Amino acid sequence: MSNEESRKTGANRWSYREGTIVTAAILLLGFALQAASGGTVLRIAGFPWNLLAGLVFVGLLILVFVLWPKHSIVKGLGSVKAALPAILGFTFLVLLMGFVKQDVEPKNAVVELLGLTHLVKTWPFMLINLYLMILLGIITLKRLTPFNFKNAGFFLNHFGLFLVLFSTTLGSIDMQRLTMNCYENQPESHAVDPSGKMIEMPFSIKLVNFSIDEFRPKVTIVDNKSGQIVLSKGKAQLEMIDRDSFSISSYHIKVEQFLESSGKAGDLYTAINESGSAPSAKVTVNNPTDKSEISGWIFSGSYSHPPEILQLNESFSLAMLPPEPRKFSSELNIQTKTGKNRSTTIEVNRPYSIEGWTIYQTNYNTQMGRWSNLSVLELVRDPWLPFVYLGIFLMMFGAAFLFITGKPKNGGTEHVA
Amino acid sequence: MEEQNMWLDFPMYASAAFVCWLAASGLFLSSGKKMLNQLAAGLSFAGTAFLLVFITVLWIHIQRPPMRTLGETRLWYAIFLSGIGLVSYLRWKYKWLVSYSLGLAMVFLIINLQHPETYDKTLMPALQSPWFIPHVIVYIFAYAMLGASSLVALRNLFFAPTEKTIKGPIQMADNLVYLGFSFLTLGLLFGALWAKDAWGHYWTWDPKETWAFITWMFYLVYIHYRFRHANEHKKAMAVLAVSFAVLLICWFGVNYLPSAENSVHVYSE
Repeated sequence: MSNEESRKTGANRWSYREGTIVTAAILLLGFALQAASGGTVLRIAGFPWNLLAGLVFVGLLILVFVLWPKHSIVKGLGSVKAALPAILGFTFLVLLMGFVKQDVEPKNAVVELLGLTHLVKTWPFMLINLYLMILLGIITLKRLTPFNFKNAGFFLNHFGLFLVLFSTTLGSIDMQRLTMNCYENQPESHAVDPSGKMIEMPFSIKLVNFSIDEFRPKVTIVDNKSGQIVLSKGKAQLEMIDRDSFSISSYHIKVEQFLESSGKAGDLYTAINESGSAPSAKVTVNNPTDKSEISGWIFSGSYSHPPEILQLNESFSLAMLPPEPRKFSSELNIQTKTGKNRSTTIEVNRPYSIEGWTIYQTNYNTQMGRWSNLSVLELVRDPWLPFVYLGIFLMMFGAAFLFITGKPKNGGTEHVA
Repeated sequence: MEEQNMWLDFPMYASAAFVCWLAASGLFLSSGKKMLNQLAAGLSFAGTAFLLVFITVLWIHIQRPPMRTLGETRLWYAIFLSGIGLVSYLRWKYKWLVSYSLGLAMVFLIINLQHPETYDKTLMPALQSPWFIPHVIVYIFAYAMLGASSLVALRNLFFAPTEKTIKGPIQMADNLVYLGFSFLTLGLLFGALWAKDAWGHYWTWDPKETWAFITWMFYLVYIHYRFRHANEHKKAMAVLAVSFAVLLICWFGVNYLPSAENSVHVYSE
């Protein structure tokens, strides 16, 4: 690399040495600041200060570029020799995150002091982010002047990433994620933030109905003595009751009757649909090895009724497991303080947005399962999201460019610095 | 078990594919004749087709996309790897590359035959999203591309062609990396958009996300390095080999890392 450097004529004096020194200094300074601050969580100022800081940052970047476009530092910051060490420095921090479990209590004093369990909110992470933004900003400006359509792919990839880093870094503080517990037919207008603080919302939400659509339940063999599921080669043998007959190990199971929602009446189960009802099945179990045949009911059980298992022999029984949810959804009625009234149904992967807030379905009373009268909602406000999305879409188009045009021929300059 | 019944047919399809690929590799490596090469290409395609039939039937039977368990993703990997090998042969005529790809695809088939896993029919609500299929397909395609590029890298490192003859192979590595990297980026971004819908945030530094990001960064290093140092072939190939090691950690090593407990991405078995 050094001979390559010497080949160049003076103007660009940045080599990997400078690039590495700057990156290393940033990391060291970051960790020193982190240690000096006693390992606290770093928080940047919220709106409008973060927006102001962002605008000043972009303004300074443009000013520096316009005033000294040929200065060796500006040229150096816009080169691969600065970019590679910076990428590696950032990768180093992310690698730490890949090995040290995040968002848990630090295990020892060093981990705590350096903030290794919450790296995203530490000085080194912030500083290296800032440095990457400077590099991406400079190189984007460099490629924009003079404008050339050939640089489109380059612009999409680099400016897209700049925008994502810029808006996520500055916007993280303005993002609010709250939890709201909604009980059926009780309008709720308060939510709780992660620290447990109660926050009043600009609307109230009434849970009209919570419902769960379930998969068919699975059956398995349990050990009579321990009550545990019998494992075969270390794995549970589970069979979903969605056919008339199937086998588990040496048992052949024939399903005589299956009731989606049922309750016990005397010795048998009948179809009912009331709180606490659950699936049941009448089965006949054959075992060809000992030529035994047993018939009876199995019931998955619910919060209010115990499960019923079918004893096959002295050692084993057949049991029905509680059904797993296929989807769960909440029918909501939302009344805003501005007078709007909206009815909607949300489910996982289908949130609903109103007045700058997005409402997500997250949980319910899992003990009660489909009879839960509680729906746990997450309310998210993320005013910087449009910028993050813009960055993401630019990068997607950039990726499409890479795919279509491939590697620039003979050191061409379409994509990278 | 119906699903297991489906997988009972797997050895049949897998052996058919295996025999086709073995014959194809043998022909590619031994013959110089055009006719035999065409036959080899045909056999290579036939092997992939057997697996495509199997995965289609499987998909219909389990009523969910077969992209969740490690065994299922290995199946896709074998399909894409063999497919990419063939396409790259048709386009660039690298016979050794198609043989390598087929060899690696065969390894995945053997792993699946040795470790038939219990397959789960249920899909948790968070995974039921229109993003699921594009996210996984794009990722597997990216992994297969980058896997193939690392084969090129290893060949260039250990069976060192001279500086004169390396030009072709290194261009091939670059092509594969560019294609793979664009898919890797798309997979990452699709994942972010999906996460926003499912969990309310586009990026939570879940261990799988963290490692996917690390992988992305390593290939980013390769691309920038190659751009600036077009003639440092060996070093570039070393970067590519290391990148693939990171990719492998991301793909299944994450499951064993202490930092990854409770990750939504840990594949079920």
